Amino acid sequence: MTRFTDKPITGAGIGLRSRHYQEILDTKPSIPWFEVLSENYFGVGGLPIYHLERVRELYPVTLHGVGMSLGSADPLNFDYLARLKKLAEQIEPTYISDHLAWISIDGRHVHDLLPLPYTEETLAHFADCVLQVQDFLGCRLLIENPSSYMGYKEVDMTEWEFIAELVKRADCDLLFDVNNVYVSGQNHGFDPYEYLHSLPEGRVREIHLAGYEEQNNYLFDTHGYRVHPPVWELYRETIKHLGPVPTLIEWDNDIPEFEVLVDEANKAQKVMSDREAAA
Amino acid sequence: MTSLQDMQRMVHDAVFETGPDGPALAAISEHIEPSDGFTAAEHLLIYRRAILGTLVRALGAIHPVCKRLVGEEFFDAMGRVYARQTPSESPDLGDYGENFGDFIAGFEPAAELIYLADVARLEWLWHRAFHAPDEDSIDVAALGAVAEADMGNIVFKLPISANLLVSDYPVHRIWQVNQDDWTGDQAVNLDEGRVRLIVWRRGHEMHIDELDAVAWSLLSRINAGQTLGEIGTAEGLDNLDEILPHCVQNGWIAGFALQA
Ligand SMILES: [Fe+2]
Repeated sequence: MTRFTDKPITGAGIGLRSRHYQEILDTKPSIPWFEVLSENYFGVGGLPIYHLERVRELYPVTLHGVGMSLGSADPLNFDYLARLKKLAEQIEPTYISDHLAWISIDGRHVHDLLPLPYTEETLAHFADCVLQVQDFLGCRLLIENPSSYMGYKEVDMTEWEFIAELVKRADCDLLFDVNNVYVSGQNHGFDPYEYLHSLPEGRVREIHLAGYEEQNNYLFDTHGYRVHPPVWELYRETIKHLGPVPTLIEWDNDIPEFEVLVDEANKAQKVMSDREAAA
Repeated sequence: MTSLQDMQRMVHDAVFETGPDGPALAAISEHIEPSDGFTAAEHLLIYRRAILGTLVRALGAIHPVCKRLVGEEFFDAMGRVYARQTPSESPDLGDYGENFGDFIAGFEPAAELIYLADVARLEWLWHRAFHAPDEDSIDVAALGAVAEADMGNIVFKLPISANLLVSDYPVHRIWQVNQDDWTGDQAVNLDEGRVRLIVWRRGHEMHIDELDAVAWSLLSRINAGQTLGEIGTAEGLDNLDEILPHCVQNGWIAGFALQA
């Protein structure tokens, strides 16, 4: 399947946030690529899309969304997908990604990623939805593992078994969120290293890193902090195992000065460079 | 085995239920795995908090002046009541909050702040204008070329981004003095009387313009789809020769078509 652009991305990218538009356009920092939240640019005009187009003239961009609701029992929302496709045609992203999750049922949207029961029924449904979306967009999707705070009793497989099977059935690619795996592992008591080592070969096109928040007795995926030490450790192992997969620093709440994001990206870049040097 | 759809409906119902011991929470708890630290219900409640938090944050981002007027705590509590009774029907969170102003108008604890609902309506229109499609301004040459006989069939259009708002309170002034970069006098006189506003965007420039009664009447009629012929016979609009160019020059009229 094709991509909207053949320009590849490498190295450590940063999530594009409105408070940094001006600084990025003025100083043109040497960041290899930016990721944007697709739904933020669904307004067809105005400043957001104007800024994105200026950034896109300078950098490769990936589109990351939360609105596909691929795991919902509802039919796919083709109105949403049409808006996404239009944005993709305009921006020519390297990748389009969304989550292994659901955010809506009966047309009502919660705007937070809810976990799926990993059953045969869910797998068949989810794979079918991914196939339909890929068909409609004309490109492969990257499916991201979510952070989760609850699990269902009635399941047929683990999340990593579900993902391995999904890739076979839907021929999709993956976005591996190292922070999410760590958070979910802590919350549900599984080993994130086992998860990592069972990822299907050659499918992880992008990695996410972010900072979680410690709540009473569980970890919450706030995207509002620097990456924590155990996540860096898991990331080093990830890069050792998967190679230098393009890695994004995600930061969505209490967005700091741009330098803080650059600093985090540099750390990720160093992990990738060290691995290259050692190889 | 519970179907995916039934499971998702149960989760959804429990998220939007109030209180810690409702039937929806009890129903989904049967299907959730408890863990060392948490009961099944407590796992679900993490999502309830997160989801209501997301919706309330979205309302706060669109309505910063309302939030400032009532304070964060009051705003969040009010937002949670709204969020519980108002499902989000779009995957785009930017579409959430359309009738927040109407909700506030009926929200008893905020009744003393008689202008709050209109401030919310103004902020919503600002938000919509900000994200509206771009468009060119009116083609004045083409307008000038319309044959005398066809003039009555002209149907003008407001900018795509534009909405009209009338309020019995000085909501524009309230909005202005509550902007972060406002350095002037903070005083607002609630008895200033009715304001008529058009909220719109030209290029990257956002506008809240105050209209006099005549311009308001003209733009309202245009907004309702009346032809120039119909507008010309309307009461109070006899000096159309002045008011129409005034509205065009200000950018409040962005295009026209000829009704067949
Ligand atoms: Fe992520």
